Amino acid sequence: MSDEILSVADVSKTFQVKAGDVTAIADATFTAENGAVTTIVGPSGSGKTTLLYVIGSLEKPDTGSITVAGRDILDSSTDLVRYRRENVGFVFQFFNLIPTLTALENVMLSMDIAGVSPSEQNRRATELLAKMGVDGRLLKAHPNKMSGGENQRVAIARALANDPDVILADEPTGNLDTATGKTVVDILSALAHEEGKCVLMVTHDESILDVSDRAFHMSDGKLTELNA
Amino acid sequence: MFRAFHRGFRSFRRNYARNIVVVVLLFVCLTFSMSMLAVKLAADNQVSTIKQQVGNYGQIQISSAYQMKQFEAQRQQSQAERQAAARSMTAAQAQANRVENLVPESLTDQFAKDNYVKTYDKVLETGITMSNLTNTTMTQLFALRQGAGETGGGGGGGRGLGGLTQNSFVFGGNTSGTSASDFTTGAKKLVSGKLFTYADYQNANPVVVIEKNLADQNSLKVGSTVQAQVSGATGVDSTMDLKVIGIYETVQAEQQSQSGGQGLNINPAGNEFYAPVSVVQKLNATPGFLSLGSYYFDSVDNTPALKVTFKKDAVGSGSKYELATDLTDYQAIADPLIKAKNTSLIGLAGALGACAVIILLAMVIIISGRTRELGILKAIGSTDGQVIGQFAVEILCICLVAIILAMGATALIGQSLGNWILPKSQPASQQQAQNQGGPAGGLVRAFTNQQLYNKGGRFNTAAAAKQQQAAKLNVVYRGSLFLYGILILVGLSLLGMAIPLVWIIRLRPARVLSME
Repeated sequence: MSDEILSVADVSKTFQVKAGDVTAIADATFTAENGAVTTIVGPSGSGKTTLLYVIGSLEKPDTGSITVAGRDILDSSTDLVRYRRENVGFVFQFFNLIPTLTALENVMLSMDIAGVSPSEQNRRATELLAKMGVDGRLLKAHPNKMSGGENQRVAIARALANDPDVILADEPTGNLDTATGKTVVDILSALAHEEGKCVLMVTHDESILDVSDRAFHMSDGKLTELNA
Repeated sequence: MFRAFHRGFRSFRRNYARNIVVVVLLFVCLTFSMSMLAVKLAADNQVSTIKQQVGNYGQIQISSAYQMKQFEAQRQQSQAERQAAARSMTAAQAQANRVENLVPESLTDQFAKDNYVKTYDKVLETGITMSNLTNTTMTQLFALRQGAGETGGGGGGGRGLGGLTQNSFVFGGNTSGTSASDFTTGAKKLVSGKLFTYADYQNANPVVVIEKNLADQNSLKVGSTVQAQVSGATGVDSTMDLKVIGIYETVQAEQQSQSGGQGLNINPAGNEFYAPVSVVQKLNATPGFLSLGSYYFDSVDNTPALKVTFKKDAVGSGSKYELATDLTDYQAIADPLIKAKNTSLIGLAGALGACAVIILLAMVIIISGRTRELGILKAIGSTDGQVIGQFAVEILCICLVAIILAMGATALIGQSLGNWILPKSQPASQQQAQNQGGPAGGLVRAFTNQQLYNKGGRFNTAAAAKQQQAAKLNVVYRGSLFLYGILILVGLSLLGMAIPLVWIIRLRPARVLSME
């Protein structure tokens, strides 16, 4: 195992709905390391995605602490915009690529926002997409002209664009067929095992557990480590 | 900044289908707005120009009501009674009769002190007998009248031509030759010598300016001397020698002669002499009296204040004198323009309101359709400012394209819209005639000679042409329209940004990205 990069301690999150309070996360505590794939499995509505969004600073927890690469993201002095640019990269179930941009432009966009020069954006985006198997005419293809697998590979390239510490993947295979899903999982696994990234996946697809170094089960907001 | 601009511009291009709909809608409303604005600016500009040309003139003269009263009184008497009354007049009564239809110089001088008065001229027009000159026009007129069994009528001095003989000529007195309306309007122009000056008026120098044809017929030239009779005088002071210092030609008379005009060889212009008003007063034996005081004010807007001043100055004289102005002319020309301006302002407000509604609704539709994009941008590390900046540029592009197209379209349809908005108006002269319609109106016109002095009398058609021209609305492109266009562009863009601004700040990416 490599270094610990992500630490989640006693994180809770409750949503207020008409029917009453719904506990999405209940005292979740775990760590994740560089060079490892950490997977959280569980049924729909168990709070997996909420936990991922809390770690990605898209949601704010009610209690607890989250440290990524030594940065306490719940500290009020932490620049969360910068954190999202530099420390985490998102991969979503529905890809969430910008439909009016090409594959190349979608990857370049992350770097553009971070202030990378246009020539460097182009070079690095081309390189990342090539690594994901997206090249040639696909570089200039819009998301609606690409397959689900191609879209998800572009999304992974975008997540890697600013060289983040942690890749947060929310149901990365949820919208893909089995074969394509396996390819995507292999890419994410390779990112962890060959490039030393910390990959945190949440999924209800238990087959992903095969490539996971650590796995947790989440149910009604409660997190339990599997094989503990 | 540049990146935000680049992203916004790219986004504008990539979302062209939605944006083009907004551009088209805005273009229609902005074209109407800009056209209305162009009409308003043109109307403003023309009213301002008209104010410098019309409506700022006034003259103190014998009132039309007073002249009507005199006419009615004379009509009650038979010709024999009138002649008997004239014969039995004492010298003092004759002098009083002479100035009956004239304005005291003291009144015109007093009024000239008003702060709104910019220029002041004294005018005395009267008939003077020239001992050694024959008025060819009068000869022809007398011949015509004799043929019709009529005889010449009597009357006093002033602007009337009573007591005429074949040696009678019209004398126009002014404080300087250049202020005589015939010369200021261009109806007459000096062809030789010079016009008399203010110093000539002050010193009552016996100088005169005569007409070219008259000079030719009588072998007169600059430097010649003509003899005029002093009205009512006898003995050694009954005549005055006048030195010819200038010769003029009457533009319209010249044009008629060149085009071979047919009919009577009447050249009334040729019978008019111009001399210092102080000299004409001497010749007419009416020192201290004028036909009228002629004034130019600083603006038509001060006419009501000047009327009040005149009332104060003329207090005690009843309704004998009046301050006649060309306010009616101004109103006849400017009113349609002012109405067009007001209509265009309403149109402008409505069209801009429509633009505001369009941009707001369009942004609601566009932003709600691109909520996911906003969420993605925030999730991958965009600041609110970056996202807002991108949308600001996009909206700016939409408005810019719309306003550029609208400005082009305005150049094409602005004039037509202006013509459509401009109420159909009549020339001032026609309107005046209608205002004084009927037999009584005709009498008033006959007696009061409604043509104001500044229009240059009956020979000058330039003023009427100017009025006709001014009544048209000339919608032209001007710099201020472009500046207003930029202001509208900025205003619309800022308004359009209001929706995205609130939307972006309140957006929670986690909610958006979870949606399928």
